[in-house]
Amino acid sequence: MSRTTSIRDVIFGDGNNNCGNVDNSNTIIYNSDEDAKIMRWLSPLEPENRHHTVRADRFEGVGNWLFETSEFLEWSGGDKAILFCFGDPGVGKTYLR
Amino acid sequence: MARNISSLVIDSLYDRAREEDPAVAWFYCDYNAQQEQTPIDIMGAILKRLVGRKIPDDIRRAFQQGRRPLLPDLVRMLRIAVSSLPQAFICIDALDECRPQDLPELLESLSDIVRESPIARIFLTGRPHVIEAIQRYFTAAVAIRISPNQDDIRNYLEKRLDRDYAPEAMNKDLRAEIVTTILENMSNM
Repeated sequence: MSRTTSIRDVIFGDGNNNCGNVDNSNTIIYNSDEDAKIMRWLSPLEPENRHHTVRADRFEGVGNWLFETSEFLEWSGGDKAILFCFGDPGVGKTYLR
Repeated sequence: MARNISSLVIDSLYDRAREEDPAVAWFYCDYNAQQEQTPIDIMGAILKRLVGRKIPDDIRRAFQQGRRPLLPDLVRMLRIAVSSLPQAFICIDALDECRPQDLPELLESLSDIVRESPIARIFLTGRPHVIEAIQRYFTAAVAIRISPNQDDIRNYLEKRLDRDYAPEAMNKDLRAEIVTTILENMSNM
């Protein structure tokens, strides 16, 4: 039984409470079999994967202007709860991907 | 471009949150995955991300009861999870790519969370027409148009030219001409 548990530890977590939260590729590692099951029960979708693909195509520095805008600052540090960034397809999506 | 912006914002929020709990959740809507990307599974995916490894008791109990969670269950769990965090960011990319009939449910769920948890911050992207739906559900929304500026385009071109597979075929003048011509054409669009 304890043998099974230790195998599960290898699969679902690193057994270290201080550094298991998120690894360098921001993928969450779970502590136990039940935790992993709960996560799949909440949703079968894994948005992390898509994020890795998109960010791998990103060009350094492109789009950084957004962080300086008053809209972004009002949202991230002010009292506006929603920030909506909108754009037409074709305004530069293809060039900047 | 919007997708690019989403990934940039997610990473920047994530880096900021790193010191504490990574309370940054995201979702990329995808036209080709509309069938799987139901509001219930999108909100579930966001909840997964926000709880991280510390699964709250209410979620564990609900799981042990065995019933599949419904959207109101997930919204309630999300509200509880968010209220235990110092700050929570939820980012959803390309709202126009989810099924049009799913959008109201998705926005309503988000607005329930924001109403109950003033610390929640929601980042959304999409085509311009989505703004009408957003305004129906949120009063405290700011919107910003994303279009690449001249610096973005120049930056991108320089990097692409640096990676050219036959750099010897291009002298400095040609390189400068490529950048100038494209920038001129872009600004005339």
